[in-house]
Amino acid sequence: MSEKRLCQPEVAGVRECARDIYILQFYDPYLAQNSRSGQFIEIKAPRRRDILWRRPFSIHNVQPEAGIVEILFHAVGRGTEALTHLHKGEKLDVLGPLGSHFQFDENLREALLVAGGLGIAPFRLMQQELSGRGTPMTLFYGVGGEEQLCGLDFYQKTTDLKLSTVDGSRGHHGLVTDLLMDYVRSNSDLSGKRLFACGPTPMLRRVQEIAKEFNMPTQVSVETIMACGFGACVGCAVPMTRPQPGVKEYYLACKDGPVFNMEDIIIEG
Amino acid sequence: MKVDLSVKIGPLRLANPVMTASGTFGYAEEFRDVVNLDDLGGIVTKTVTPQPRPGNPPRRIVELPGGMLNSIGLPNVGIENFILEKMPFLQTLNTKVIVNVAGTTEAGFAECVSRLEDVTGIAAYELNFSCPNVKHGTSYSTDPAVAERITRDVRRVTQRAVIAKLTPNVTSISEIGLAVQNGGADAVSAINTVVGMSINIKSRRPKLATITGGYSGPAIKPIALAKVYELAKTLAIPVIAIGGIAASDDALEFMIAGATAVQVGTANFYEPDATIKIKKGLESYCKEHNILKVMHLVGSLKT
Repeated sequence: MSEKRLCQPEVAGVRECARDIYILQFYDPYLAQNSRSGQFIEIKAPRRRDILWRRPFSIHNVQPEAGIVEILFHAVGRGTEALTHLHKGEKLDVLGPLGSHFQFDENLREALLVAGGLGIAPFRLMQQELSGRGTPMTLFYGVGGEEQLCGLDFYQKTTDLKLSTVDGSRGHHGLVTDLLMDYVRSNSDLSGKRLFACGPTPMLRRVQEIAKEFNMPTQVSVETIMACGFGACVGCAVPMTRPQPGVKEYYLACKDGPVFNMEDIIIEG
Repeated sequence: MKVDLSVKIGPLRLANPVMTASGTFGYAEEFRDVVNLDDLGGIVTKTVTPQPRPGNPPRRIVELPGGMLNSIGLPNVGIENFILEKMPFLQTLNTKVIVNVAGTTEAGFAECVSRLEDVTGIAAYELNFSCPNVKHGTSYSTDPAVAERITRDVRRVTQRAVIAKLTPNVTSISEIGLAVQNGGADAVSAINTVVGMSINIKSRRPKLATITGGYSGPAIKPIALAKVYELAKTLAIPVIAIGGIAASDDALEFMIAGATAVQVGTANFYEPDATIKIKKGLESYCKEHNILKVMHLVGSLKT
């Protein structure tokens, strides 16, 4: 694992890629060359001294040659709202790379990626890693409505894309996990297929059920509230499936995660 | 001009007054990538207890304007694993290591300290008998007789410096301070977190799993400053200030109020190199004001 660094990188640009969803690019050659999919960074909200904690963001994409790092975020709160007003050349305050990353075992033959909403964030970089490895990908991508879809052209070209929207505006009318269920039911040979999931808690719970039923190795990226992002605050406790009662009952999402083997954690919330 | 930043806390001499607060700096290794640890005056470890503890269920933390609530519950690997897993790294450092200990019983404090006595690389102990997030945690430092007894028991088993960490959640912090001074403490550190609470008005549920927790961060600085000022006036032993210290100006206020050293807590979470910036800021202030020894600042408040 690469050591974390505190940096003040320059913003390369911010653009809205779907409704209220933005891509922020900044120059940080170290991060661009040393980050793996599933890892995250912590950013201090610019010009907002009243916001105490940094905010964690999954690393969305990197351009190692250009030294560019991208994050994808939903402008929902005070911290993320401040990020939308950044201009090229402004300085950020960034800590990373942090946490665990998705692992590809030698028997991995096909990757099934399950993304709910902003859960698409780590899969752009993962696509880069898997294509370098020559591993085919099926991407199950679900959002509320089509105006929330990000990077559709890219994923259409590079993955076997299966779309769903809750409002039925695009693709399957319903949940992304319906698509996953159809897929695993109609594929008799699941050997060498691995699940990778990132998204809201109800989605992860359903993925967990499917993974269990079909006995599929699954890695999941979880999101929790965290004050620091590197194991100091010990606030981001995730209950273990096999605790040592009274001794060790929790993992830390920031250090042991955010990527876990699905079978190791209890998905709460 | 060369400024002498060193301070003395009983038998303990620190190269500079900037320490880390327990529970906000892990066991230092978490910060090695972003802080030159040898530049710190001292490192106070996360609390160690005789037996391992898993800590409290989530949700453990809440961000609030100017501060944060926590109810972590002292998760740690227990004293034996602490010695095996955490001490080897701490022993490589060229700074003062202060091990923060807590017992789940009164006897647990001296038990922890005895066990650590033959472990090298420890400069002092800080007694955490003021954690608001564990059962009985607070009672150890809200009852002066109990606080004095625990301190005396620890004093009997060690020659190393003993620091008693005090809670602000009492009627008179000086009364507890005097009790631990009688018990033989070399210094007090204050304040631990302020008991606080936050509610989700949609669900009408408390945000923390344990309902109440400890409030920390810049918001509690004025409270801490008043307590430190009171303790420094009352006690003969040195006071180490804790409470919302995030910049060198904060540290200066506390030293002027009477603190001999400071501990940086919550700021470590969002500004991992805050300690180093504070140390540099103290040095610059002394240079600007022609202060040769930082000790000259201690208790220099004009009233």
